[in-house]
Amino acid sequence: MPDQNLYLKAIEATAIISTICVLLIAALQRFGSKKYLSIGYVIAISCGLAVGYYMLSLQLAWPPRNALERFLTLVLPAVLVIELVAGFHRLPNWSVWLFRVTLALILPRILLHDSVFLMGSEYGWLLWQIYLVQLVCGVLLIGLWALLSKLTERSPGVSISLAIQMSTLCAGLTVMMALYIEGGEAALPLVAALLATTIVGSLLFKRSDESEDNGMPVIIGVGVIGLFSILFIGRFFGELTTESALVILLAPLLCWVTEIPPLRNQKPWFVGTIRLFFVAIPLLVVLFLAKRDFDQNVAPLIVDAQFVPKIYTDLPSRTLLLSRRNVQSR
Amino acid sequence: MRQLISFSIMSVVLGMVFHVSAQSCSAADEYDYDLVHSSVSFKARHLDISWIHGRFNDVSGKFVLDRENPAKSTFLLTIKTASVDTANEARDAHLRQPDYFDTKQYPTIEFKSTSTKPIKGGFKVTGDFTMHGTTNEITITLMGGKEHVFGKTKRVAFSTEISLKRSDYGFDKNAIGPIGDVALIMIDCEGVR
Repeated sequence: MPDQNLYLKAIEATAIISTICVLLIAALQRFGSKKYLSIGYVIAISCGLAVGYYMLSLQLAWPPRNALERFLTLVLPAVLVIELVAGFHRLPNWSVWLFRVTLALILPRILLHDSVFLMGSEYGWLLWQIYLVQLVCGVLLIGLWALLSKLTERSPGVSISLAIQMSTLCAGLTVMMALYIEGGEAALPLVAALLATTIVGSLLFKRSDESEDNGMPVIIGVGVIGLFSILFIGRFFGELTTESALVILLAPLLCWVTEIPPLRNQKPWFVGTIRLFFVAIPLLVVLFLAKRDFDQNVAPLIVDAQFVPKIYTDLPSRTLLLSRRNVQSR
Repeated sequence: MRQLISFSIMSVVLGMVFHVSAQSCSAADEYDYDLVHSSVSFKARHLDISWIHGRFNDVSGKFVLDRENPAKSTFLLTIKTASVDTANEARDAHLRQPDYFDTKQYPTIEFKSTSTKPIKGGFKVTGDFTMHGTTNEITITLMGGKEHVFGKTKRVAFSTEISLKRSDYGFDKNAIGPIGDVALIMIDCEGVR
């Protein structure tokens, strides 16, 4: 059941652990080059996520039994390993992208494994539908990943990472409001770890632009995979609508708006603000609609404290109001 | 004449043999679960003060009853989890989510008997109960077994109650709280052949 205090504690713990890790990396970097910043970021995100998911008591089993467990035990480690390998700079860029494309293409299959969708026409899809869905989702994911990576190269800045985290947070809340509580919870440590790493990293390594490694590919990679997976799980295993999932997934691409000529050569803080503003608009619309549906459909269930986001139990007048409204509407 | 008599005796003996063997074959009757006259319902504690009731609308099964050797009787029941119905659409939608039944990942609940023992008024049936991807061996007491024949249709009926802990079947422990851990499943079924 949703427990806002637990969520806050998990977010805090995740952010603190990731921050400590980035600070440790910063301390080590004084004595060496900034060449391996990506590896430090991978460690910071991994440690933060481990603590956050432990605090949320998300069930993990081996072999993983459902899509969320497969995301946590297979997909997240896979993207972290890919970015770790990429961080050593031993491999050419094209081979790193080969790994990324492979992961993007097999990710839908991993998440759908053993589900009704793959059980033949009695329950799920026909064979061609299975391949089509996997291909479309894979191409969508790799397209998003490539476009955001390209934008980071053209016009670096923390705003792209912040946009992805905004979308991931929106995805988590929307999935929760679509009544898949645990699926939405998984977004919280992810956002906290990536946000802490991005902000602390950007403050500590401000002058790292002369370095060949600014750590951003790690943030983009883990962020995009996390965002996509949470939406995919929410869509296919929860009640998230395709429209909401697509809007949330594609919202970070609105960061490209600052590449149009009048905005392109503005100051970085202005460009960042414009990007976040444009990304926030569709996300707020989706959140508003999800909240409206939640109040309409789920409120009758949570009035009696069954599904209870704590805010409802703390506000008896609101609870009473909801009860009255339901009685009237009937 | 002698040949004719011996042929006749042979025919009678063979006929008796075939009749007896045919009888022993028909001692094991195979029944299909009759969805119209059966129900699988459940109840679970709510906030530890009351019970929430629900049912599964899509159930199928097969049972083989061997009257002469009851230990050879077998029971198979398959419940489609997506058919959960608690008379509240929003709650049903939530119960289908991965937080509860996870119907897209685990579309069925199954019971498959592994041994059957006759008892007074029914059977003690041990079998594998699979729910939410976890299989546990359970023993249920099936009461009934009375037959009813109408025309060419033969019916038999059983009923049982199963008490189980959701935590034993890998349900999210965070989702066990307002809805209690223990669930009671009531099965009243008719088989038809």
